[in-house]
Amino acid sequence: MKLPATSSSKAPVKFRMPTADNLVPIRLDIETEGQRYKDAFTWNPSDPDSEVVVFAKRTVRDLKLPPQFITQIAQSIQTQLTEFRSYEGQDMYTAEKIVPIKLDLRVNHTLIKDHFLWDLNNYESDPEEFARTFCNDMGIEDPEVGPAVAFAIREQLYEIAIQSVASAREIKISKKGRRGAEHAISSKGGGNALDLMKLFRYNSSVVRKRKEWYVYEPIVDILSNEEVDALEAREDRNTR
Amino acid sequence: MEMPQYDPNTKPEFELYTIPSHSSWFRWDDIHETERTALKEFFDGSSISRTPKIYKEYRDFMINKYREEPSRRLTFTQVRKSLVGDVSLLHKVFRFLDEWGLINFGAVSRGDDSDNRDSSLGDTELKNQVKIEEGAPNGVRVVALPNSLKPISVPNSGADGSGNGKVAVAGETGVKLPPLASYSDVFGDLVKLKGFKCGSCGEQCNSGCYEYSKGSFVICEKCFKNGNYGEDKSKDDFRFSDLGGNSLTHGATWTEAETLLLLESVMRHGDNWELVAQNVPTKSKLDCISKLIELPFGEFMMGSAHEMNSCPTGSLNSLKEGQSASSENQNDVKMEDQVHDQMNESKQNGDAATEEPPAKRKRIAPLSDGGSTLIKQVGGLDSVLDNLEHYQTFLLMDCSDASFEVAHISTMVGPHVTAAAAEAAVAALCNESSCPREIFDGDEDYLANGLSSPTMVSDPERALQVDASKMEENQSETQDASSEKNDVPLNLRIRTATATALGAAAANAKLLADQEDREIEHLVAIIIETQMKKLHSKINYFDDLELIMEKEYNEMMQLKECLVEERIDVLERALKTGVSKWRS
Repeated sequence: MKLPATSSSKAPVKFRMPTADNLVPIRLDIETEGQRYKDAFTWNPSDPDSEVVVFAKRTVRDLKLPPQFITQIAQSIQTQLTEFRSYEGQDMYTAEKIVPIKLDLRVNHTLIKDHFLWDLNNYESDPEEFARTFCNDMGIEDPEVGPAVAFAIREQLYEIAIQSVASAREIKISKKGRRGAEHAISSKGGGNALDLMKLFRYNSSVVRKRKEWYVYEPIVDILSNEEVDALEAREDRNTR
Repeated sequence: MEMPQYDPNTKPEFELYTIPSHSSWFRWDDIHETERTALKEFFDGSSISRTPKIYKEYRDFMINKYREEPSRRLTFTQVRKSLVGDVSLLHKVFRFLDEWGLINFGAVSRGDDSDNRDSSLGDTELKNQVKIEEGAPNGVRVVALPNSLKPISVPNSGADGSGNGKVAVAGETGVKLPPLASYSDVFGDLVKLKGFKCGSCGEQCNSGCYEYSKGSFVICEKCFKNGNYGEDKSKDDFRFSDLGGNSLTHGATWTEAETLLLLESVMRHGDNWELVAQNVPTKSKLDCISKLIELPFGEFMMGSAHEMNSCPTGSLNSLKEGQSASSENQNDVKMEDQVHDQMNESKQNGDAATEEPPAKRKRIAPLSDGGSTLIKQVGGLDSVLDNLEHYQTFLLMDCSDASFEVAHISTMVGPHVTAAAAEAAVAALCNESSCPREIFDGDEDYLANGLSSPTMVSDPERALQVDASKMEENQSETQDASSEKNDVPLNLRIRTATATALGAAAANAKLLADQEDREIEHLVAIIIETQMKKLHSKINYFDDLELIMEKEYNEMMQLKECLVEERIDVLERALKTGVSKWRS
C-alpha cells in the first residue's frame, strides 16, 4: 500500500533536539565532602566551551559551595555536552512520531503528574512555552516549577532522540532494503510512538472518550512540609 | 447558531454567543481561509495526523467546550486532556481561537486586549495586574530636602493606584513638594544668624565671633578676650566677624558677598582655581568649584571667562568694567533705601562734593582689579560703610551722567552675561520669599526701582529718560522712608537689594528672550506657510495638466474609433467588389 509521501519513508534528519531551540538538558548530581548539589537546567550547545567553567565558577560562588565543586561541575557538564555532540553528526529518523510524555516530578512543595502527547516531528515545539501555559492554567505560583517541567520534557525528548539515532544505526546496519526499512522503522521506532494510523483514521475521532480524560489530566499537589521531607528521604534512599 | 451581536444569552430557540465582529467569517460547517492560512499544518497534507477533518474536530470541540460555560475562562489544560494529538499543535489551535475571540470572548479574563492574547498568558498576567504598593518601595527613603536625612512620612492619599507613595503628588495631598535640587535659600543664611557655638567655651556666640582663619573654628568674643584660643592657635589667627556679616562659613553656606566674590574671580581667572580660591578668602578650592557648579549660571561664567581670556585686554577691561559697573549701578539704585541714614549723614558731612570725583574716577578707571576690589570691599564689613558713602555720592552725581554711563554699560553687557543673568533671574525669582518684603516696607518703590535697572540694561535710549526720572523719584522717596528701617542690619538690606535687583534684571532679559523666541517661531511658521502654498500651486498645476491629458486621451480614442470604422468601411467595399482570396 502506498503511504503518503511524507510518512514513515522520510529521509533521515540530522540529530538535534526536536524542539524550537536546540538546547541540551543537563542534569547535575554531585556529592563532595558531605555536600550534595543537585541541579537540572538546559544548556545551549552552541555556546563555547569556555562558558562551562565560567558557569561552574559562578554557580559555586552564588551558592557558596566549596571550591572543589567547580571542577566537578565543569566536568559533569562537559561530559554530557560531549555526549550530546557525539550524536549530533548522526542521522535519526523522526518519522511521524507522536510520543507520550509523562511528567512525574516534585519541585519544592509542588507535585506534578501529567501525561500528554508530543510530536517529535514538530520542530517548532517549545517545552518552555508548554510549561508556562501549564503553570498559568494550574495557577502554580512557585516560579521554579515551570523550568522544571520544561526540563523534564526536554529530557524525555532527548532520550527518545537518542533512541531514534540508535535505531537508525541499526536499520542502516541491517539494510534489508527499502521496504524492509520502512517496516522496521514503523515497527521499531513505534515502540514508544503511537500508531498514527489507528488514531488518526478517517472514521475515528480525535476526541477522546470521556472515561479516558482522567488519564491525560494533570495532577498538581501542594505538599506539606512533612510530606516533602518524607519524599526527600525516600528519594535519597532510592538513589543511593 | 451565533450572531455577532452584543446582546448575550437571551433564549428564544437559539443560544446567543458573542464573538467579535472581526471573526464573523466563522462557520460551523466550513473552514475559512483565515483558518487555512493561520494553521497551515493541517492543510498541506504533510501528515496523517493533521488533516482538515482533524482540525475541524479540534476546533469544534474547543468552542463547544467553552460554550458550555461562557463566563468561565477556558484554559488549554482543560481541553488538551480530551484531545488526541501533539500538545504543541493543540496549543496553537487554542491560541488561534483565543485570538480571534471564538473562545473566551466573554469570559472573565485576565487580559482584555486582543493584543495581549498574542503573548503568552504569563505575560498577560504581569502586564495587566498592576500591583498597588503602599508607601515608598523598599530601599527608598523619602526625605524632605535633598541631602537631609530626615525621612518624611507618606500622606494618606492612596487615591490612585499608581502611587509609589512619594510625596511628589502635588496639590491633592496638601503636603508641600520637596524642593528642587537646585533650590538654594538665598535668604536663609541671613535669617538664621544665631546659633554659632563657641568652640572653646561652648556657649552661643551672640554678638560676634572670632573665626579662625586657617580652619573652621569659632570662639566667642569673651573667649577671645580671655585668651582662650584653643590649642595651637594664636591671637593673630583669628578674624573678627560680626554676625550678619561674613560669619562662620563651614564651606556649605555661601553668603551673597562671597558669591559675588567668587563670580568676579572666576570671570577673571577662569579655570585657575588656585587664584579663585585665594580671592575668595573663606572658601577652599573645592568649595569654589562646587558652588560654581551649583549656581545656575556658573557654567556660563566659566565659558565667558574662557572667552575673555582669549580676547584682547581692551575688551576684557571694558566688559569687566561694564559688569562691575552694572552691578554697582544696580546696587546704587536699589540701595538708596538703606543708605538713608548715611545719606543724611554725609550730606551733613559735606563730603559729597569731595568724594564725588574719587568715586567717579574709581569707576571710570578700567583697572582689571578695580571691579574686584570694589566687590571685595562689599564683602568686607569694614569698608561697607565706605562703599555706602561712595554709592550715595554716586547717586548725587548728575543724573544724566549716570544714565549715560548706564547706556554705555548696557551695550557692553555681552550676551553671555545676559543669558546668565536670565537664568539667575529664573532661579532667584523661584526662591523669592517674604524676607525682602519684611525688610523693606516700601516694596512697591523697591520693585519699581528694580525694574528701572533692567530697563536700563535693555533699552539704552529709554533708559536715559526713565533712569533719570526714577532716580529722582528714588531720592525723594527714600528720604521719607528713613526712620523705620533702623532695626535691620545694613548688610542684610544691601544683599537683599542686590539679589532682587539682579533677579528683576534677569527676568526682564528672559522676557526679551521669550519674545525673540516667539518671533523666530512666527517667522518659521511663515516660511512653512509659503512652502505649503508653493506646493499647493504645484499640485493644482499638475491637476490641470491631468485634466488636459484626459481630454486629449478621450479625443484620441474617438479618433481611433473613427479610423477603425473607416477601415472597416474600406474592407467591406473591397470585399463587395470581390476580392477573392483574403490573406490576413
